[in-house]
Amino acid sequence: MKTAVYFCKCGTNISQKIDSEKVREGLTKQYPDLSFKTIDFICSEEGKEALEKDLREGGIERVVVSACSPREHEATFMRVLSKAGLNPYLMQMVNLREQIAWVTADPLRATDKALRYIRSAVGRVQLHDPLEKKEIEICPDVLVIGAGPAGLKTALAIAGAGRKVVLVEKSPVIGGMPVRYEELFPSMECGPCMLEPVMGDILHGEYADNIELLTLAEVTEVVGSYGNFVAKIRQRPRYVDTHTCIGCAECIEPCPVSAKNSFNYGLSDRRAISFPFAGALPNAPFIDDRLCIAKQGGECSKCREACPVEGAIMFDETEKVLERTIGAIIVAVGSDLYDCRRLPNLGYGSIGDVYTSNEFERIMASNGPTDGEIRTKSGNTPSSIAIVHCVGSLDPNHKEYCSGVCCKYAFKFNHIIEKKLPGTKIYHFYKELSVPGKEDFSLYTHARSNPNTTFIRYDNIRDLSVTGGEAGSMIGYPGLHGKPASVRADMLVLCPAVVPAEESGALGKVLDTVQDRFGFFEELHGRLDSAQSKIKGIFLAGTCQSPMDIQKAMSQGMAAAGHILSGLVTGRKLEIQPVNASVDSERCSGCRICISVCPYKAISFDPEKMVAGVNEVLCQGCGTCVAACPSSAISGNHFTNAEILAEIQEVLK
Amino acid sequence: MKDANAVFEPKIIGFLCNWCSYAGADKAGTAQSPYPPNVNVIRVMCSGRVDPQFVLKAFEQGADGVLILACHPGDCHYKEGNYRAVQRHRLLLRMLESYGIEKERCRFDFVSAGEGEKFVSIITEMVAAVRALGPLNVTA
Repeated sequence: MKTAVYFCKCGTNISQKIDSEKVREGLTKQYPDLSFKTIDFICSEEGKEALEKDLREGGIERVVVSACSPREHEATFMRVLSKAGLNPYLMQMVNLREQIAWVTADPLRATDKALRYIRSAVGRVQLHDPLEKKEIEICPDVLVIGAGPAGLKTALAIAGAGRKVVLVEKSPVIGGMPVRYEELFPSMECGPCMLEPVMGDILHGEYADNIELLTLAEVTEVVGSYGNFVAKIRQRPRYVDTHTCIGCAECIEPCPVSAKNSFNYGLSDRRAISFPFAGALPNAPFIDDRLCIAKQGGECSKCREACPVEGAIMFDETEKVLERTIGAIIVAVGSDLYDCRRLPNLGYGSIGDVYTSNEFERIMASNGPTDGEIRTKSGNTPSSIAIVHCVGSLDPNHKEYCSGVCCKYAFKFNHIIEKKLPGTKIYHFYKELSVPGKEDFSLYTHARSNPNTTFIRYDNIRDLSVTGGEAGSMIGYPGLHGKPASVRADMLVLCPAVVPAEESGALGKVLDTVQDRFGFFEELHGRLDSAQSKIKGIFLAGTCQSPMDIQKAMSQGMAAAGHILSGLVTGRKLEIQPVNASVDSERCSGCRICISVCPYKAISFDPEKMVAGVNEVLCQGCGTCVAACPSSAISGNHFTNAEILAEIQEVLK
Repeated sequence: MKDANAVFEPKIIGFLCNWCSYAGADKAGTAQSPYPPNVNVIRVMCSGRVDPQFVLKAFEQGADGVLILACHPGDCHYKEGNYRAVQRHRLLLRMLESYGIEKERCRFDFVSAGEGEKFVSIITEMVAAVRALGPLNVTA
């Protein structure tokens, strides 16, 4: 096989340490037919032209470029080979500069090492296969799971690019958590006002036709891989047609059934047919079939009788199972709050006026259970409110991390309380304070300057004790020098750690994604790629990946959209790198060790043939499975056993 | 060359993963920090690709030592290939021991793309350690 070695002198960088003539002598002794040429700067335009010309003329079948690090110029010379009509994988680079010339003191030994390296490359390159990139057809449509801020932003960006988006939301309402908050940190913007234009675009905007919104829906099964996923989506009946319903709410008053409204954390009641809260979008109520008399087999059609639009209320609607083909999936399912009952000393669930931050958000919201009036369960206006930070955060017994948003909303609470009930005593119990960001200090500064505010730092949340009484709660804490101290508060607001949403684990199983040690969806890389999951084609946005604020969730949603719009292009096929693994099914014993070591879940098992198979779209070519296979049934393209063994053998000669 | 007083120059094979340790070796090059030329580098995409049979083959073919360098824990370009490499290395040492190959002849370490100096010191130490052990004599 005609092999050509190109020796780049790199000016004097290589040639002052390595004697190319000695290398030539040594090589041609072993390979008399070898072509050996020196070039001054092979990466220069002239150098590349000379290489290309030579390859075009010479009938050369294998190429060794002895120059700098392949990390620097392997791709450059692969392109030259392609231009010259040679398969780019029929080349091997030798790192003469970084790993020999620059680091070897003795020129004789440098030359000897260079000779061995080049000999080894010549031996290896004989075994190279002409690998070809494969291309597959893709579906450019996208599935977005979760219609909170991150999911909405992503869906709009993708729909705006002319792609179809399936937007799946498990609840009857879109907007996620912030749409339920009256005001948002840091600039006290109204939550619904900020999100309504975004939601309006989703429902009725210029690109709304590209978005299929499925509320009360969940993804139950996903098969396939990047470019070609098929998702099964189960959609529970709403019993109200969102397209014909005019949102007049005439149906709600006549409904005879009343139950706790979970959207207000049970702080108010709702009917069997209801809106989650005033202003909820889509602007149509839903029927809770566990409450509805008609759905429970009884006789009632009061809502339908009251409805002015014929056919808007549909008792006979049933659960649907939909199937959608998509090329990529964005997970934006949000998060939950840590269960405060795990800290019984704080009295949540056992003492009357102890609330979580989300409950307090609803109490302050004008469309909430008290129409925005801050009052205790007995209806009184509180004269003192204690806000406990770091509930379950920064605590090895609970969650070790800081959620990063709690201090910010806690000082927002301070601001709203002071505005709504001036003069109210506010206590901030905190373990640590964290308010980074260019705007976020202002609420903190405001709270600090509020003369009715007291900051009390605690060391361990276990040291706080809340006891209930007729006149509010007493909060005991270790005061100066550990002396027991206490304050009285009519209301307690707990700021719990942000934790993964309850359904994260189940969804992770459906998607085959990895959850981190806290249960959040694990990103591909914490800094470089936090919007990608470890499964190719599944992207992450918002608090399902990590606790974060709205700004970051929106940005991450856009990042995910960007990944998809640049990686999955309408009309362009998906290119598959050929440096990946493949299974020889004749040799495969079906032991499945490869499946257990693959970091990308790229290997699956065919139960009929009892053999493993590599999905080339998912395989990243690390070769871990190749080394693990006890039957040597897996080969790693471009890094085959034979190639590596030849390299070892030749370099040791 | 066959001088009886000549120092023993061990032959060592170094398996370096492309993303961290090979880049670390390049970094040492950029810094032009000299180190003994005894280690012959074989580039693999991931330390998880290092098949124990490569190590055995290297010893069989005359290597006096083998070095496996990987990304630091948690930094693997392929997420966890370096953990597999650690596991395999541990088992491999037990196997080598039964062949009478000292564990110092097969070293595993972590070198990041920025750790040029660490790369130089590992190479220097490894060469000194294998030189002290002398040539490997394995009788089949």
